[in-house]
Amino acid sequence: MSRLRRGVHAAKRPGDGMGVVLGRHAGRLGIVFVSMCTALFGLGARAAAPSDAERHVAEQVARAKAEGIGLRTPVQRGERVFRATGGCTCHTNYPGEAEAAPALAGGRALETPFGTYYSTNITPDPETGIGGWSDADFIRAMREGLAPDGRHYFPVFPYPSFTGLSDADLVDLKAYLDSLVPVRRANRAPDAPFPFSWRTSIAGWKLLNFASARIESEPSQDAVWNRGRYLVEAAAHCGECHTPRSWTGGLDRSRWLAGSKEGPEGELAPNITPDERTGIGDWSIPDLVWYLETGLKPDGDDTQGLMREVIRHGYSSLPREDREAIARYLKSVPPIENRVKGGD
Amino acid sequence: MHRRVSSVRRLVSSRSFVPAVALAASGLSVLVVAPRFASAQAAPSDEAVIEYRQNLMSAVGYNMGAIGTIMKNQLVLPGAVANHAQQMADAAKLIGPAFERKVTAGKTDAKPEIWQDRAKFEQAIADYQKAASNLAAAAKGGDPAATGAAVKALGESCGGCHESFRKPKEESYKNR
Repeated sequence: MSRLRRGVHAAKRPGDGMGVVLGRHAGRLGIVFVSMCTALFGLGARAAAPSDAERHVAEQVARAKAEGIGLRTPVQRGERVFRATGGCTCHTNYPGEAEAAPALAGGRALETPFGTYYSTNITPDPETGIGGWSDADFIRAMREGLAPDGRHYFPVFPYPSFTGLSDADLVDLKAYLDSLVPVRRANRAPDAPFPFSWRTSIAGWKLLNFASARIESEPSQDAVWNRGRYLVEAAAHCGECHTPRSWTGGLDRSRWLAGSKEGPEGELAPNITPDERTGIGDWSIPDLVWYLETGLKPDGDDTQGLMREVIRHGYSSLPREDREAIARYLKSVPPIENRVKGGD
Repeated sequence: MHRRVSSVRRLVSSRSFVPAVALAASGLSVLVVAPRFASAQAAPSDEAVIEYRQNLMSAVGYNMGAIGTIMKNQLVLPGAVANHAQQMADAAKLIGPAFERKVTAGKTDAKPEIWQDRAKFEQAIADYQKAASNLAAAAKGGDPAATGAAVKALGESCGGCHESFRKPKEESYKNR
């Protein structure tokens, strides 16, 4: 835990350490943070020789502007991460309880070939949710698939993708989740046969199918492509549904994004590689950007199932440049011919 | 020429003309109506009902697709989005009658819920019509933000109706 905390503080972006502190009382402190930045920036403009602190803020402002983020609180930045995940929509029991389902309080049945698993409560309720978690607890869960008490999470929770998220984004995401309304609702054990109901077996699964690693920037590609890769592979975790799985339930990375007939809840997840015949080769970048905003396909048809939810609660609320980055990256992955039936 | 016209006048003014015309007309109507009556006896096939429903839905979808093409590529086509949206609003009136007869077997993804919960189905059509009319109005108003929001709402109304009344792609006849 302390090692992870140091990891957070030692992150590359100077704002990260501040994010950790602010995450606790993000709403109020966020405003103070912005006011401080504004004040310091104002002083910097008047002072003859800027201090270290002033330079630090000036750098932050420049970086924020360069990234198109603007000066924001951790909660606001965290909301962007939250939207990029598809609004964590698996943690709301929409099909079961429809729109009446308490947001992010878990209980959604996720059918997999190994059994039915129920999503968890990620509201800031201290007893049944994640309200009592430290930032390090949250980072370890998302990155290592480990609960605060050290037990393994079932990989229906897509930590093999979230492991790529940066320290800054994870801390901001937690700040956003902490700002939401807590809901008291206990988690439910899976309906899965042994050994798939046995958490310890996940240790073996992880040896076969999981590696904790950040996503390094690819220097031969531009910033938009790299942003797109980060969003697709880590935050939006597209591969968790759109990549077929091996017999052990790990992602078959040789068929990255080539579509799966065993998507969550028994859904067909289409091939989203740019293959002309079986993938999205005939979708333009504007087609993809529009689709992620509206859920409308090039032929005017709408989207159903989990994809409709992640667009509605997530991708449609992303800044446009994030949808463009996703589209750019998706059009660049190797095309793989793999027909997933279902009219898509 | 003059003589022919005058003979026609004589015929028209003669007393026997009116019954003669009536007789001829009734004979004609028998000729015209008889085959129509015969075809009405054999009900249209389920396949024809499905084909019409699918063509109607395609027409709606093509309009939605055209609106998308214009907006996502920022094509300069004054009045086009409003026009397509109006066509979609007009098509709403055709949906109820198209799904009057219950046909759920065959190459169709129509769910039996259309006939089991008719009030909800009609409400979904009404919501769709309103969303399409709202888009037509927003597009005429020329505010891009309002138009964008109205397109999203219209897409949602399509998706909402399909969620309840169209089989998901996993259960589609297209998989068979």
